[in-house]
Amino acid sequence: MFWLLPAGARRMFVLVASLAFYATWGIVFVWLPLLVATLVFFCGKRIQADVVRARSWARLGIGCLLGLLAIFKYRSFFLANLPFVTGVIPTHTASLAASIGFPMGISFYTFAAIGYLVDVRQGRVKMPAFLDLCLFFLFWPNILSGPIVRARELVPQLSLRRPFEPRFLFEGFDHVMWGLVQKTVIANVLGIWVDRGFSATAAGIPSTLDGWFLAIAFGLQIYFDFAGYTHMAIGTARLLGITLPENFRQPYHAATPPDFWARWHMTLSRWIRDYLFFPINAKWHGAPVPLYLSLLGVMALVGLWHGAGWNYILWGTLHGVYLVLYRIYESWKNARPDWSESRMIAVLWRIGTLLAVLVAWVVFRSADLNRALEILSAMFYRFGTGGRFAAACYAYAGLLVLFCSAEPFLMRKLDEIEEHAGEEGLSAFRVLGRPIAYLVGILLFLLFDTINAQFIYSQF
Amino acid sequence: MLPDAEAIRKAAQEAASRVAGKPIKEGQKIVSSGLIDSLSVLKLISLLEKKLRVSIPPETLQPEDFDDVDLIVETVQRVGKSME
Repeated sequence: MFWLLPAGARRMFVLVASLAFYATWGIVFVWLPLLVATLVFFCGKRIQADVVRARSWARLGIGCLLGLLAIFKYRSFFLANLPFVTGVIPTHTASLAASIGFPMGISFYTFAAIGYLVDVRQGRVKMPAFLDLCLFFLFWPNILSGPIVRARELVPQLSLRRPFEPRFLFEGFDHVMWGLVQKTVIANVLGIWVDRGFSATAAGIPSTLDGWFLAIAFGLQIYFDFAGYTHMAIGTARLLGITLPENFRQPYHAATPPDFWARWHMTLSRWIRDYLFFPINAKWHGAPVPLYLSLLGVMALVGLWHGAGWNYILWGTLHGVYLVLYRIYESWKNARPDWSESRMIAVLWRIGTLLAVLVAWVVFRSADLNRALEILSAMFYRFGTGGRFAAACYAYAGLLVLFCSAEPFLMRKLDEIEEHAGEEGLSAFRVLGRPIAYLVGILLFLLFDTINAQFIYSQF
Repeated sequence: MLPDAEAIRKAAQEAASRVAGKPIKEGQKIVSSGLIDSLSVLKLISLLEKKLRVSIPPETLQPEDFDDVDLIVETVQRVGKSME
């Protein structure tokens, strides 16, 4: 339908479709991304027009955006955890505040908006028309859970005047189908067992097998859930001829903790690097103590960004600790130019990184700290036999581990097949392989679509 | 006075190769490809400052301003201030 419209009408079509899509997730909050667009438009214009007070306008805009995020995402957390707030606010106001719902995707479009204001302040982007800005913040493929796109990546594509190319369909459907399978066939199935095992009511310390199973199953669930969503977002945008950035690059193949963050939620890592980590450390010229403190602080904030809960803050801080440990090792290594890292040490870092990521996932997912400690103790020192899940559950998780291990190889092979087929050639893969793969994907989707589960990252 | 573009290019190529630990070719992406991280960009800036005797205030910069040799030259010309 999009491609049948005259080029001039496509932008309005996408804007209306985006508003309608957002409204299906909660009609009462449709005004919020529009308010964000208006605020950014106003402050951005002032930043460009008033050079003397550009910094103040940028600060005002960012302050308002953070204020919106605090009100709509963190109010309950603040009310519950900050005693001086609890004492000042009357009980009925507090219960009213707690009853306001959660606007989907607010963390994602608020971060995109903050990045936009900084980019305008640094002279990297010009202020576009208001309609472009609304399209940028409301663009339906990525409004709920990213990828967090930079204005300079997306806004130039939003003229939507590109002529249709058949590869938009191939590439778009490839991503959408793979995303659907990842979400329905993998993440949702694992989610049933993960919910059972991590709940606070789950009975006592699990066996060692179950401890490891739960940690691995959640690591796989959150990866396939979020990567699945991202594939669908990228694919849907591609069907409109738009390219969104990739968000994952086989994260469980990370060689070190920094490498994990270069592969996991890459657009969030890039945002944190550009707008928080780099400016802070530039001020201190990368000196060790500010570096370590900034790593801990920034990663605690990354945790808080994921959710208003102590488990998320602890998860982020744990990753901060991993990054600090690696930086200490790196500076120790750099101080010894004659010493070269052996293959064994590189392998140990790789295994250590994977284990550290799994430990952090247990903290992230557990209903409370007690449950996290029970599962971790079962994994590492309170060894117990047996297992409460069916053998098929362990086998399924085992198969997925095998798939993740082979993922880089499989992706390389697929790329080779594509390259071999050439740009427009009709290879056997395109004529037969793709339709069969799509058919299998649709059948699997229909078979597993009975499990109704929200995307994990849409709650952030 | 800032050094001329050719001198900046030569210094950029040398500094980028030193930070990356291997020779960097023209047009090769060093930040977005993951070859160097944001902390290495700070080292790159400090090397460029020493080689070119310029000051490069990094607070308003982003790592990808140093993504390849052309971008490094452009960034130094845009924000660099001579220390002489």
